Amino acid sequence: MACATKSLSPATLEAFGAELDALRARTVAKIGSEDARYIRRVVKVQRYFEVAGRVLLFASIFPPAWLLGTLLLGLAKILDNMEIGHNVMHGQYDWMRDPHLNGKTYEWDIAGTGDNWRKTHNFKHHTYTNVRGMDDDIGYGLLRLFPEQRWRPFYLAQPLVAIIFALAFEWGVAIQDLELGKYFAGRKSKAQMRAEWQPVARKMRRQIVKDYVIFPLLAGPFFLPVLAGNFVANIIRNLWTYTVIFCGHFTADVHLFPKSVVDNESRGHWYWRQILGSSNLRGGKLFHVMTGNLSHQIEHHLFPDIPAWRYEAIAREVREICGRYGIPYNTGRMSVQFSQVVWRILRHSLPSRPARLPSVTPLAA
Amino acid sequence: MTSLRRYLQPLVSPPVFDFWASRFSPAASWDRVLAKVVARRVESRDAVTLELRANRHFKGLRPGQHVNVTAEVGGARLTRSYSPSLLSADGRRLSITVRQVDGGKLSTQLCQNAQVGDVVELGAAFGDMTWTDTAPGSRLLLAAGSGITPMISLIRSAVTTGTALDVDLVYWARRRDELCFVDELRDLATRMPGLRCHFVLTRETELRDGEHAGRPNQELLLRLVPDLAHRQVFACGPDGFVETVRELLATRVAQFHSESFTPRTVLAAATGTVRVELTRSRRTFEIPAGMPLLAALESQGLRPAYGCRMGLCNTCACGKSAGSTQNVVDGSTDAEPTSALRICVNRAASDLILDL
Ligand SMILES: Cc1cc2nc3c(=O)[nH]c(=O)nc-3n(C[C@H](O)[C@H](O)[C@H](O)COP(=O)(O)OP(=O)(O)OC[C@H]3O[C@@H](n4cnc5c(N)ncnc54)[C@H](O)[C@@H]3O)c2cc1C
Repeated sequence: MACATKSLSPATLEAFGAELDALRARTVAKIGSEDARYIRRVVKVQRYFEVAGRVLLFASIFPPAWLLGTLLLGLAKILDNMEIGHNVMHGQYDWMRDPHLNGKTYEWDIAGTGDNWRKTHNFKHHTYTNVRGMDDDIGYGLLRLFPEQRWRPFYLAQPLVAIIFALAFEWGVAIQDLELGKYFAGRKSKAQMRAEWQPVARKMRRQIVKDYVIFPLLAGPFFLPVLAGNFVANIIRNLWTYTVIFCGHFTADVHLFPKSVVDNESRGHWYWRQILGSSNLRGGKLFHVMTGNLSHQIEHHLFPDIPAWRYEAIAREVREICGRYGIPYNTGRMSVQFSQVVWRILRHSLPSRPARLPSVTPLAA
Repeated sequence: MTSLRRYLQPLVSPPVFDFWASRFSPAASWDRVLAKVVARRVESRDAVTLELRANRHFKGLRPGQHVNVTAEVGGARLTRSYSPSLLSADGRRLSITVRQVDGGKLSTQLCQNAQVGDVVELGAAFGDMTWTDTAPGSRLLLAAGSGITPMISLIRSAVTTGTALDVDLVYWARRRDELCFVDELRDLATRMPGLRCHFVLTRETELRDGEHAGRPNQELLLRLVPDLAHRQVFACGPDGFVETVRELLATRVAQFHSESFTPRTVLAAATGTVRVELTRSRRTFEIPAGMPLLAALESQGLRPAYGCRMGLCNTCACGKSAGSTQNVVDGSTDAEPTSALRICVNRAASDLILDL
């Protein structure tokens, strides 16, 4: 997206990077028992929510129990996936050396494998945030969200596709790294596909068996209500994670970058790109927790390995620094940010062209 | 139980199991060796004994061996080795005696803050300072500071199993109030004819019965143990102590076994080369200490997994079981074993053992 961005000289970018590095160092120095207590508390709440949700579903002969059980299970899955899973897998709590909070091995309650996520998200998306052709999260190979993406007639169905994708988000994420497009275009061998498919299928099977066979069977006569409750809980989680994630990178003013930006990129420039490629959500403390603090998408992209509950405190300083350097800091209420996302989905389902040549470099001419 | 476990295996997620099991019994776990602190007592001016009861995953240990003990300090888990005494035949009750080291992270935690009811994690037993041979001949045990712990473990087990002893123990400390197990040792020595205890104090002016003065030296040792040359010697204590007695005795006695409770050192220099042992590929390299590990290993022809090369994405993170590293971005150093060392932004600050 082209938008008037103040140019910064290499020296200014360096000073800007140094300020963020200093902020990072100040924050890292504070990490300790407070963070350990925090994440353990979240884990505890998540575990109790999950058990309470499943127990209530077993009592679903009584309709309010079904409703509450489904909701609690949905919340438990959201906590597990976002504030715990996503953040732990970034290595935010590796310093604790707790094998159950190990970023390299953590596995979450969702269809996709932790290993695939570590690759598509931690590496590709975070390193090449909003770089065309490198960050697979730009439309997930399914949606056209930027005018720079080539239009095809398929995108006319995008409004419908986007809704289906939202409902089935966990499955979309689960197969993201298989790059089916490549396979169908003949650029990936059958053997490689089979090898990659195996762990993916194993995880999918585990999730299906757990939510749609074992727990319903354990409920005996309440097989169907439990199955339905688990199904709806998964959908609640899918819609919420989809909304939060799309608000993080596909609001109106976020930037898209060409591949060339990553060549010999300086730290300052990298920080600058992360800020322009991300957008925040305003809200209360509980809201931030439920988004896994991805409501602070900007801070998360600057410091993906700092315990996410600290982003709120960091945000004030980041915003102040951005203000001084004239770098736009994109934040807003969820309703506002998400309507911008919806507008992108609708607008770019039809042919569109970049308004101007994209301003891809912060460097003064 | 085992078959039930096997049947449940595919359904159980160990973290979830551990969470709920620990609500009912703090040291319960699906597969980890946890132990509960069941008693605590002050052992000397600067040492504390913690009695532990391990869960059923603990495989036990032989007297004279050590285990790694892991406990949390400031939210992070730290692992150090200790040499327990066994308190029950099944090996699940044991005691560790921890001497508080000045500025020491885990020893301070265990001495000052550990309480009955706390849970620590245990590793597998290791070390070969054990008494195995059936016809032993006389032994000489040399201990300094916390080096007394494997010795008391060996002596206690011989007493409980009723094994005849022919042992001299020489135990160094700076002051009398730093000595551990004195009453117990004196009592055993009067009851067991084959056990003789000598306490050597280096900074005490007035000596009592059975006490001596002086650092380890030939003359002192010969005075206490005239038949030194025929002894099977076991020495344990700080690195400097073990080195001294090794030089004094190793070639002059029948057998010499030692274990040093070496303090880990952090090498500050960014120059020179270090030895990096890669456990998974079973190879060892000499690499320059100043270079980030990823680049250094690549220059040796290796291809470790990596992503951003900026210390962000965690793709290159690998386990480090020993050695110190320094982060080249923020200058911080880390001497603890870790599951996730980001090799793209860390350089070696000592020899290393990596899980690669
Ligand atoms: C095989 C083995 C068995 C051991 N058994 C026992 C035991 O039974 N009881 C016991 O109290 N300790 C024992 N130790 C020592 C113990 O493992 C720790 O090193 C010690 O408790 C200090 O840990 P810390 O975290 O407090 O110190 P750290 O924070 O690791 O170190 C702080 C400072 O103290 C220095 N230092 C570390 N260890 C020592 C030491 N032993 N003596 C003097 N200075 C030191 C370090 O160089 C550093 O400067 C054993 C060590 C080994 C290798």
